[in-house]
Amino acid sequence: MTSFNRWCVAALLTLLVIAVPAALHALPARDSDIGASDLLERVRTAEDHPWSGYVQTQGALALPVAEDFADVGALFSDDLRMRAWWRGSDDWRVDRLLVSGETDLVHQHGVTIEWSYERDRATISRDPDIRLPRAADVVPPVLTERLLRDVSSDDVRRIPARRVAGISAPGLRVEPSAPQSSIDHVDLWADPGSGVPLRVDVYAEDADSPSFVTELRDFSASRPAPSTTTFDGADGIDVEHDDVLDIADAANQYAPLRPPSTVGGLDMSSASDGAVGVYGVGITQLIAIPLRGREARPLREQLRQTPDVATSADDTLVTAGPVGVLLTGAADDGGWLITGTVTAETLRQAAIDLARGTTYVGEVG
Amino acid sequence: MIAVELRKLVLSRRTWVTILLIDALPTLVGILLAVTDIGPRPGTGPAFLSAVLTDGTLFPLAALGIVLPLFLPIAVAVTAGEAIAGEAQQGTLRYLLVRPVGRTRLLVAKLVSVMVFVVLTVLVVAATAYVLGALLLGSESVSTGATSVSGTGLSTQEMVLRTLLALAYAMLCMLGVAAIALFLSTVVRAPLSAALGTMGVLVASTLLLTLDAAHVLQPYLPTRYWLAFVDLFRDPILWRDVERGVLLQAAYVVVFLGAAWANFMTKDVTD
Repeated sequence: MTSFNRWCVAALLTLLVIAVPAALHALPARDSDIGASDLLERVRTAEDHPWSGYVQTQGALALPVAEDFADVGALFSDDLRMRAWWRGSDDWRVDRLLVSGETDLVHQHGVTIEWSYERDRATISRDPDIRLPRAADVVPPVLTERLLRDVSSDDVRRIPARRVAGISAPGLRVEPSAPQSSIDHVDLWADPGSGVPLRVDVYAEDADSPSFVTELRDFSASRPAPSTTTFDGADGIDVEHDDVLDIADAANQYAPLRPPSTVGGLDMSSASDGAVGVYGVGITQLIAIPLRGREARPLREQLRQTPDVATSADDTLVTAGPVGVLLTGAADDGGWLITGTVTAETLRQAAIDLARGTTYVGEVG
Repeated sequence: MIAVELRKLVLSRRTWVTILLIDALPTLVGILLAVTDIGPRPGTGPAFLSAVLTDGTLFPLAALGIVLPLFLPIAVAVTAGEAIAGEAQQGTLRYLLVRPVGRTRLLVAKLVSVMVFVVLTVLVVAATAYVLGALLLGSESVSTGATSVSGTGLSTQEMVLRTLLALAYAMLCMLGVAAIALFLSTVVRAPLSAALGTMGVLVASTLLLTLDAAHVLQPYLPTRYWLAFVDLFRDPILWRDVERGVLLQAAYVVVFLGAAWANFMTKDVTD
């Protein structure tokens, strides 16, 4: 064999190694002729369809990472790797994978067990109506269920299919009709067989690229085995019971306040039953959490270090993609934390409405 | 030919000095942990190191996590870089090729010799760490069984099987490094250049993995899936990155071994 031929063999091997995965990756998606309203209906009927898979998210939102909100900030700012087994809305497990550890949420019969390898501890808690977002909320099927809550067939149109998890998934664009929304549109692609959403892209106003992407990279529409959603902890691990899940749950249970029924032109959700107000529905939603001075102060400091912060004597406002965060008050004061996928004007109006309409129901807990 | 290379490897004092030097770091870490009783917080530091204070049987894995990112690849790069360029620099390559053996066989023998070096190193590190872990560190697993990364219990049999898989995976990752170094060894005259060139590739790969702008390249970088052996200790095992790691290392071996073969077969050997 001549030198030229040998190098040809080596070059051919290299080409094969590079070209085969590239060709598989570039396979075009076969589109289907399903209409937008039919696809919307199919996705909605699949809300409790079982599934399992490997999820990857890409968050481009530079959200503040104050201690009480660190997990929420990471949820939308970092790239997350997760794997999930979903037998039903009350029987699921979502593992957030880290390079040398993981944090698992295992949910059954209204009780959630959080296993944290980093903390070497399992924590058992009930599932409150009001809580901060967690990893299980950003897997494509769960996020889609929330985003489509107030969407009608007039708000959707078909977009070309794309290959997601090796499946040609028909696409749907959702454009919110509410003027308060800071989301320009949401693109989603669903499994044509089961209707389970496989990928969701969220776009802010005037943005060319998505602010947040969540995608199932591996997917199965089969029902996972019961053992996958059962936490069978090893002997000797620490197990704790937690009465208060997070700062939103604590404020909702113990703050002696009742927020008004409407803020920023959005009606209070039926989930609100305490001091924390959840307003709006689906794509256009905000949450108002009353914070004490010791909770508001570090968050305010963190917000002020965020690029594009707008500070006034009455509040501190940060906008990160479609997510707005407004904290009322100044210096060491407590205040309302108002955040959601709404415009800055809506957040400011919500702050005014909360200042006017909040009622006090007792002593501070 | 392979037997000759293996005999040379095993009888070489440098081989054992290198292995002992690699083994020294995890040994030092183990002793420090045992003496001070201060371990890293779970999820920080090298994989599994946080758990060894309560479960010493995990120390072979922690030791692997310590040597895999830097020490082991350096040793493999130096050893494989030496394979052809070292013979050329010493002026022995000419005489080696005078023997009735093909260049392809010589190349394969050199690669096998490097891999045996990797196997020896990993086994020595794992064995030392096991003894150290059993004697000096925690013994929780003796009474309660080992805990997986997912918080579930693992039997001794499962733990041994998964540890063996992790060791095999680490060896495969090093095969990719050896292929790159062997190719460079056929290109340059000085073994140090081949070793430094390989380390340059690995350092660049590690750096690009931290850069968001290099997102498109990351699945193809040689170090991308090195730490996927941790996934073998999740419950159930997450095969996704391990499978990709195996395919990626196989691709590096095919490409660089092919290039080494093409280059070495036609190379003018004057040294």
